[in-house]
Amino acid sequence: MDIKKIIAIDLDDTLNDFTKTLQETVFTYSDTFSFTEETFNSYLNRLRNDRPEDSDLLSTEYSFFQYQIHEQCYRLAKARTDGIEFMQWLKNNGWQVIICTRRDLRRANGCTVEWLKDNHIPFDHLFMAWNKIVFCKLWGIEHLVDDAVFNIVHGENYGVNVYYPLMEKHHILPGNSAKGFKVFNEVKQWLQS
Amino acid sequence: MASKLNLLREFYSGLPKDSAKIETNGYGFSFLTQLLSGGSALEYGELTLSGFLHKYKIVNIPKYRMDELLESHIAKECNVCLYFNTEKNNMFCFNMDNNHKTNNTIVIPEMDLAIRFIRDQLSELGCEPLIIASGRGYHVWCRLGGVVENNLLYQFMLRAAAKTMAALHKYGYDYHKIKFNFYPDTRNYKVVSLRLFGSEHAKNQTFSYVYRPEGLLDEAISWVYFEDYLQHKTIPEGKFREAYAAIMAAFEG
Repeated sequence: MDIKKIIAIDLDDTLNDFTKTLQETVFTYSDTFSFTEETFNSYLNRLRNDRPEDSDLLSTEYSFFQYQIHEQCYRLAKARTDGIEFMQWLKNNGWQVIICTRRDLRRANGCTVEWLKDNHIPFDHLFMAWNKIVFCKLWGIEHLVDDAVFNIVHGENYGVNVYYPLMEKHHILPGNSAKGFKVFNEVKQWLQS
Repeated sequence: MASKLNLLREFYSGLPKDSAKIETNGYGFSFLTQLLSGGSALEYGELTLSGFLHKYKIVNIPKYRMDELLESHIAKECNVCLYFNTEKNNMFCFNMDNNHKTNNTIVIPEMDLAIRFIRDQLSELGCEPLIIASGRGYHVWCRLGGVVENNLLYQFMLRAAAKTMAALHKYGYDYHKIKFNFYPDTRNYKVVSLRLFGSEHAKNQTFSYVYRPEGLLDEAISWVYFEDYLQHKTIPEGKFREAYAAIMAAFEG
């Protein structure tokens, strides 16, 4: 196998519709939460608006709530049909596929693998990395598909070719050489060229 | 002294050895192939925020490979972290961490009080713990002479931790500054693993020194104490069950 045919692919908002799921799903309060319904709604609002908690502590009531809601989204998010086809094409054409995510896989490993299998998405390895550019650089991975602005902007400087699904947050970006796509078929063509 | 490998094997003999979390600065596909030799499989990997430190959860580890990994652990080339059994265990552990986002490897006053309180509390119940310094706090291990249902271990730990936090509150400290995790945790058996004694912490390269009321023991004496604890301070199962009954009664009262 050509060792250069290695690609890292993000999950949330790349292969699925995580943000849409977070914004539109009706999350129900129950007495399993250790706080009031009013606090629940306040936390949910904070989470949906991506406002970080003002605390100098690592583990808090809010951080636990955030994980619980995110995990529901991991399970509920819909896979992109063209993304599934793209992943299957990669596997059928000799690519080594690394799923690379910022999810806390210590807790979310099980539901993540289940979701990938349920959606018939093949992969070779599953990795969690907060800095995917550094991860790709260390592991000799030249291609990354990811929606994160940081990676889009900085990939080029580290020899990583970044491809990203066009989203509203990408309308104004600093100069970069990453390639935005509407459908995964475009990435397929770029990889073949 | 028995060999360090034999001591680790014996002390942790009750924990599953076919899966582990490995913490190492090794990375790359060649390294991964070597790590997984013997038929092991990678469940997931992680590049942490600490330099090039990687973590790998591996499963289906053959016995000879686990021994090799433990040898590497003793040589401080990697850290081996083990998971707990899903039904019963012959050991339990409180993982007490400094809960601050930054500068969290220092011993804060809350931790200093908490570690002394939980040690005294467990000792008074006849369950003297083996306390090991960790990166952000301490691991408080109790090794039992027989296996006990996880729910009993968990309920016991929950109450001992609650009493410790109540003591912090009583003396005017903020108990939120310490994070307790319990092993085994009935909510997530297969999720959490704990680093074994005998290596250095991945972030601050500090050895897992044994904590005693008079202070931390040095590395060589820590190994001696570890062996002594194994031979003389393993808690009889009946003694633990008495302690469990006592702490449950205290809360019901």
